[in-house]
Amino acid sequence: MILPSILNSIQIYLKLISIQIRAQLQYPVSFVFDVLTQGINAILFFVATVMIFQRFQSIGGWTLGEIAFLWGLIEMSFGTMDMIFSGFDPDSFSTHIQVGSFDQLLLRPINITLQVLGSKFVIRRLGRFIQGVIIFIIGVSLSQVNWTVGKIVYLPVVFISQILFFGGLFILGSTITFWTVQSVETVNILTYGGSEMTAYPMSIYPPWLRNFFTYIVPALFLNYAPALYFLNKPDPLHLPSFAPFLTPFTSIALLMAALLFWRIGIQHYQGTGS
Amino acid sequence: MVSYWHVFKLSFQRQLTYRTANIAGLLTNLFFGLLRASVLIALYGSRLEVNGITLQGAVTYTGVTQALIAYLSLFGWWDLMNSVYKGSVAVDLLKPMNYFSFWLAQDLGRSLACFFLRGVPLLIGYAIFYPIYVPNKPDQLAVLGLALILSMLTSFAWRFLVNLAAFWTPNAQGIGRFAFGLSWFLSGFIMPLRFFPDWFVRIANFTPFPSMINTIIEIYLGVIRGPDSLQALLIQAVWFMGLVLVCQLVLKAGLHTLVIQGG
Repeated sequence: MILPSILNSIQIYLKLISIQIRAQLQYPVSFVFDVLTQGINAILFFVATVMIFQRFQSIGGWTLGEIAFLWGLIEMSFGTMDMIFSGFDPDSFSTHIQVGSFDQLLLRPINITLQVLGSKFVIRRLGRFIQGVIIFIIGVSLSQVNWTVGKIVYLPVVFISQILFFGGLFILGSTITFWTVQSVETVNILTYGGSEMTAYPMSIYPPWLRNFFTYIVPALFLNYAPALYFLNKPDPLHLPSFAPFLTPFTSIALLMAALLFWRIGIQHYQGTGS
Repeated sequence: MVSYWHVFKLSFQRQLTYRTANIAGLLTNLFFGLLRASVLIALYGSRLEVNGITLQGAVTYTGVTQALIAYLSLFGWWDLMNSVYKGSVAVDLLKPMNYFSFWLAQDLGRSLACFFLRGVPLLIGYAIFYPIYVPNKPDQLAVLGLALILSMLTSFAWRFLVNLAAFWTPNAQGIGRFAFGLSWFLSGFIMPLRFFPDWFVRIANFTPFPSMINTIIEIYLGVIRGPDSLQALLIQAVWFMGLVLVCQLVLKAGLHTLVIQGG
């Protein structure tokens, strides 16, 4: 009896998403412009960095190509996550809480997590994914990655792990709004801050910052550690040799913790009474 | 004039009341600033100075730009655009006030509050982590004060212009995001303009964007001083007046096409 219910859930989810997609494609010109601007802003940041590198050559022992590898990979996964987990974006989720539409979702006989996930699907975030792909390709070709079967197999694992990791942080941020009603801007430190931070090698940050993003939020294993393996880089932090392969485990652990917190949050939810 | 003063005061007070939002914003700006400082420190490596900016200057640069985010609404300003989409633009246009000056008064109130609530505390917070540079010469401070005012005015005129796009299209957010992104790139917000290749700086100097941020930075760090800094102020003033002129022309054209939504 479990399989049909899963299939049913997937069907409902796809239906919710397809409504979103059709709605957003109603104004095609505006949509294309939205996708382009999503991408262009991030590309501008990268172009600025490329020009700066003409003067500086490297950052903490990492070349431009290696930085582009880190940067592109995290942009691809963050962009994809931002699209899939749009419903859990704390800013938009908090509106559900504020106007009381979350109560409506609770009344429907469909899994609540699925509904929130399907409540928003911002396809213009594809722009961020696409520019991530461009930066990643530049990174791979400049840094001349020595591809092995292991690396080719592990790359998609890291990509999916990063999506789940940031998705987990979005769920955490949204759950907090059960208590705070308004979204808490400081959560951005973990989500947008985490993605910006992991676009650079973690070895450049002061120890207190790095420790926070290792032991409290395990972002160290998200991008930096696997990149050491992909790029055959020596590690000034002297992480254990299995550290590059912790990425899926830390991400799944974080997502599980977030979902547990989410469940507790729902039980405590009382509504804003509007 | 009295009504503009009231608009200014109300907007100032409103910004003061968002206490938690102000604190959260401050912490976020501070955190991102420390990230940016780490990147610049790592870029410098063993260098002591790059094109006139010392390592201490570079770290200070990240603090000052982060302190300007709220003051200049660098991440975007959509108030006018939203008023068009909600329809309240009709009420604003009926007011016996100049439309540009009405919004300017409102934005000046917000920005002054942000200067004291977000800008100054951010630099104080920064000083806990890094020995940042603080200008102390009276003439430098006077020029800096003027540069801050002029950059606010220039930045406002640019944001006003971008928001006017809402008079033509029902979805101008994309245009806005692009316009604000462009201003980060060319104003010296992402990196000091001095770090860029010369040809790029020359292009940037043909735009109003360096007048919004880079001028403040260079005067604050003392990279330009004396007659050079006065010339920079003059350039800021010229860009402001030029943008005001464009705003008036575009507004005039926009009022003919404006269709009031909602009601």
